[in-house]
Amino acid sequence: MGTRAAATSLDQLRELPVIKRGGTQTKFHPYKLNYVLAQLVPAEADRQAVRQALVVHYRTATAIETRELRPALIQILQDLDLTTAAKAYQDYFIAEQARFSAATNVRDRIEQLFSRDANVVHENANKDSNVFNTQRDLEAGAASRAIGLKMLPDLVAKAHLRGDIHWHDLDYSPVTPETNCCLIDFDGMFKNGYKIGNAEVASPRSIQTATAQMAQIIANVASLQYGGCSANRVDQLLAPFAAINYQKHLADAEKWVVAAQREAYAQTKTKKDIYDAMQALEYEINTLYSSQGQTPFTTVNFGLGTSWIEREIQTAILKIRIKGLGKEQRTAIFPKLIFTVKRGLNLDPTDPNYDIKSLAIACATKRMYPDLLMYDKIKALTGSFKTPMGCRSFLQGWRDENGVEVNSGRMNLGVVTVNLPRIALSAHGDQTLFWEIFEERMATCHQALAYRIERTKEAQPENAPLLYMYGAFGKRLQPGESVDALFKNERATISLGYIGIYEVCTTFFGPDWEQDAAALAFAEKVVKALRDKCQQWAQASGYHYSLYSTPAESLTDTFCRDDILKFGRVPDVTDKEYYTNSFHYDVRKHPTPFDKLTLEERFPKYASGGFIHYCEYPNLTQNPKALEAVWDWAYDHVGYLGTNTAIDQCFECGFKGEFKSTARGFVCPQCGNHDPKTCDVVKRTCGYLGNPQQRPMVHGRHVEITSRQKNMSPEMIKNAARYERTKQSDAQRMVSGGAK
Amino acid sequence: MPKEWLAEELSEQYVADYKAFNFVDGEGVRCSLYLSGCPFRCPGCYNVAAQNFHYGQPYTAELEQQIIDDLSQDYVQGLTLLGGEPFLNTQVGIRICERVRQEFGQTKDIWSWSGYTWDELQQDSTDKLKMLSLIDILVDGRFLKDQMDLSLQFRGSANQRIIDVPQSLARHEVVIWDKLVR
Repeated sequence: MGTRAAATSLDQLRELPVIKRGGTQTKFHPYKLNYVLAQLVPAEADRQAVRQALVVHYRTATAIETRELRPALIQILQDLDLTTAAKAYQDYFIAEQARFSAATNVRDRIEQLFSRDANVVHENANKDSNVFNTQRDLEAGAASRAIGLKMLPDLVAKAHLRGDIHWHDLDYSPVTPETNCCLIDFDGMFKNGYKIGNAEVASPRSIQTATAQMAQIIANVASLQYGGCSANRVDQLLAPFAAINYQKHLADAEKWVVAAQREAYAQTKTKKDIYDAMQALEYEINTLYSSQGQTPFTTVNFGLGTSWIEREIQTAILKIRIKGLGKEQRTAIFPKLIFTVKRGLNLDPTDPNYDIKSLAIACATKRMYPDLLMYDKIKALTGSFKTPMGCRSFLQGWRDENGVEVNSGRMNLGVVTVNLPRIALSAHGDQTLFWEIFEERMATCHQALAYRIERTKEAQPENAPLLYMYGAFGKRLQPGESVDALFKNERATISLGYIGIYEVCTTFFGPDWEQDAAALAFAEKVVKALRDKCQQWAQASGYHYSLYSTPAESLTDTFCRDDILKFGRVPDVTDKEYYTNSFHYDVRKHPTPFDKLTLEERFPKYASGGFIHYCEYPNLTQNPKALEAVWDWAYDHVGYLGTNTAIDQCFECGFKGEFKSTARGFVCPQCGNHDPKTCDVVKRTCGYLGNPQQRPMVHGRHVEITSRQKNMSPEMIKNAARYERTKQSDAQRMVSGGAK
Repeated sequence: MPKEWLAEELSEQYVADYKAFNFVDGEGVRCSLYLSGCPFRCPGCYNVAAQNFHYGQPYTAELEQQIIDDLSQDYVQGLTLLGGEPFLNTQVGIRICERVRQEFGQTKDIWSWSGYTWDELQQDSTDKLKMLSLIDILVDGRFLKDQMDLSLQFRGSANQRIIDVPQSLARHEVVIWDKLVR
């Protein structure tokens, strides 16, 4: 890359406005030309000559037209006898144009899909493409991506293709103006009834009917939006319907049971009803298929209720999860369970619901879920208590026109994620340049998000009747009314995502910066700057832009892969072949949970639109006290905490614990079994859990790679490494929810 | 044979390892001190290096202070003494146990793993009995490879027991820890 002195000469061009091909006007950024020159011209003296020639070329100009810049640069290269560079630059430009036109060509994309082009298949490897409905989704997705790229503002589409930013869910949005994720207003729907298809559904009269309706609603909502959907406070939500069961049983008892035992009878029967209803919900959600050909990304929150019925519902949820799914008692992947911890309610042994917290700890040691919401911290960080929408995206505290706090029925409109490590790599250790590029990238993100809002507003209520007309989004619109009524005045959120704080700081402070006060201050400054942008955009528009620590399921891989192409294998940044998610601690290190959370807890106050912390543990089924020690400590430090522990099971030999990770996936350390039919491997790389061993396509690739391993040529080793990378991204996508 | 091995003859007062804030050496989050030297040499031992009495580093006042500081964190349940053979390093073991009692009273617990069985310890030297009296939980007995079972709570082989020391001393018989899962 060019030296400081060299950049100064190009700095003379900063006075000139830059007119883009689409007519938009931006600033001149010398770092971009320096990057191009570093790629094209080996000798610094030659590069300096090009810079000077360029400055001379624009000496009398009043603007730089990008349309004109490329031929000018080629001419200069040729004049200086740098013909190889001139040709390479021309070829690169042609290749870029071809790439863009291929990406936006529907026929190409579909043909790639039908020929099972490796890239397209991998892009969707979270879905079992043997299934008809998934095939259809892949076909439609391929077309939607191509069309969507053409619909997006030109700069946004190109920034997405280049890997500067990521427009999430391109297989759906912007072609279909879907929202991303939401808290479904079950309460309003149950009270007022709703309509799905041709069926008018009345208010449920038992807890079994209520949970059956929940499953139907979730299935429908999941098909009408992209990301996760959540049920807030389900114990409190469902209690009134279980109370109807109780009254019915009590009425029966008056006929058939002696007076002294009537209440006990009704209570016992109601408890059984609650258990059955919650078990049915667990199975129904796990057997659903949304229009995306996936199990809906569903999150169930509970834990604040104190009545006997609410306590019973909480207990049932945990007992059912501990028991496991099916004959083999596999770990359920959905719904994601989130238990609320609250001081005075269930945190301490003297609290009335402490017994349920103990059960939650036992459940987490066996099934990883429930994750935890710390009541007081969530209120402090986000302005009100509520569960995240899907795996981590949080609404912000909000009151309606009557001053009433509203959470359920609100939603997130979408996410665009910025590739922060790329900004840092482009800055080459120069913080001033980092902030210059940061500003430029933020302008692109803003344009992308503003477009997403506008596009989402174009939906008609009748496009998604359950969401807009029958109460899932909390208000009931008439056909033709503007859906904006549900979004504006900061009722909805729209999110700026980010990834790679670890890598950003590594480029400036080296790989072990976690104890360096200057590095920590810089990390915090970056996240705060992102938040400040969101606040500015919100104030200017009336829509709530929130900062979202992106789940980064696929981005952790794809952004890094893009940057390996652009910058090569930079130690501890790109050479790891993944980027560290959001503000998370370097996963290669071994901090204690307390050290990890201490580092991370400084960020969610800025990234209050989406955050989660995890800690990694050995198998803790026999030491729940250790997990409780972390939970209790964390209560005053973080808002949202997940447990990652070794809960793999082998049904061949009975082993329970951590499967060994190998090139072909995961194997039982005791008997070597790796057949997904007879083992249960559960991992989390983001907010949701997944079964990385269970997907047929990946498993087939495992077998292929395994058979290759015996006589490895260098080419095969490269293939294996590439395969490892895809497998990682697949695993992450697999467990993805919310924005993809 | 009782009193065949004595700390005063064998111990170099060396520490094989110290692991603060770990999740596997007993109940809750613990700080573990691995004392060097063990003549039992069980086949299949998971920590062969620590069988040498000269392995690791000498025990120091600085390390002791570090242990006390770490234990003072709210989330730490207690101290664990392992080895090697802690009961053949009683100079260090008794010193740190007494310091823990002095600093924390009974608010932090002390666990220890020993190759000696409870009954063997009862007939052994006074220093071993003194250290035992300072401990809350003893996991006793040699590791026996043919009884190895990875699913056992806090133990490697089925012959080993998790013993509630104060209760056992009071009743003059082995009382198993009341929170034993398996």
